[in-house]
Amino acid sequence: MLARLARTVPALCRAVHTQQPASTAAALELIRSQPSHYIIANFVGRKYILTPRDVLTVPRLRDVKVGDVLTLDEIHELGSREYTLRGNPTISPSRVRVQATVVEHTKGKMEFIFKKKRRKGYQKTITHKQPYTRLRIGEIEIPIESSS
Amino acid sequence: MLRGTLRSFPANGHAAFLPQIRKLVFECCDRWPSSETTRNYLFTRLVGLARDNPHVEIVVRQRVHREPIVRGFYINNRDKVIPLNGLSLAEITQKVHLLLDSSGAKIKPLKRRTVESNTESVRGIWSGLHADRPDL
Repeated sequence: MLARLARTVPALCRAVHTQQPASTAAALELIRSQPSHYIIANFVGRKYILTPRDVLTVPRLRDVKVGDVLTLDEIHELGSREYTLRGNPTISPSRVRVQATVVEHTKGKMEFIFKKKRRKGYQKTITHKQPYTRLRIGEIEIPIESSS
Repeated sequence: MLRGTLRSFPANGHAAFLPQIRKLVFECCDRWPSSETTRNYLFTRLVGLARDNPHVEIVVRQRVHREPIVRGFYINNRDKVIPLNGLSLAEITQKVHLLLDSSGAKIKPLKRRTVESNTESVRGIWSGLHADRPDL
């Protein structure tokens, strides 16, 4: 019984200082107070966990030029070390702003696809280079809401 | 903590974006017919290209009795060379845009590298000594 009590004490301590914040603004204030953040954002139909300064590689985006800055508008989750804000289904872009800069349009390594049908004299090699677009994620901005 | 780990890594595009290509050099022969389409490109489309890309230095050189090439020089001191013989005008434009869009880095397999990050994990790394003891 003492062992069971000893196990519940840390859980109780944790419950005391992690109360649900009153409003979204309070939750964002808690997250903003911590040094590093991450987001889970939807980009070109896929979800990625992104932090500032990392490079995202997606299949080639044809309507975008090198140097263009894109704003991520489908952010599902914003988190820090101890707090997480989950959108329903997304967080409004007025609460969190993340931009990504197109760094380059490249191609991947050459792939060799070999096809053969045995005893039929049919074989061929297809060479293929998949084009990609690479984006650099900018800072995660959580603007301070000015009460109007 | 080692002194070598206290360095910062370049992150082009994070705060400011610098185009990675610095110079494009077109080399073609004045006489040989293999340079015909390249000469046509230089006379018709080169000035527009230079106007659209003011950050690139464009140089035209003679390459006597050789096949025409275009060479792109990048900020990381690498260069990419593309031969232009046997290509049509549209294909030459495509190759030039390939050079303009590239960053000069070596071609590497990108199929599995979706997110490349140097940031430490935001939520920290799980430690068995600081987690709840499992109830079995």
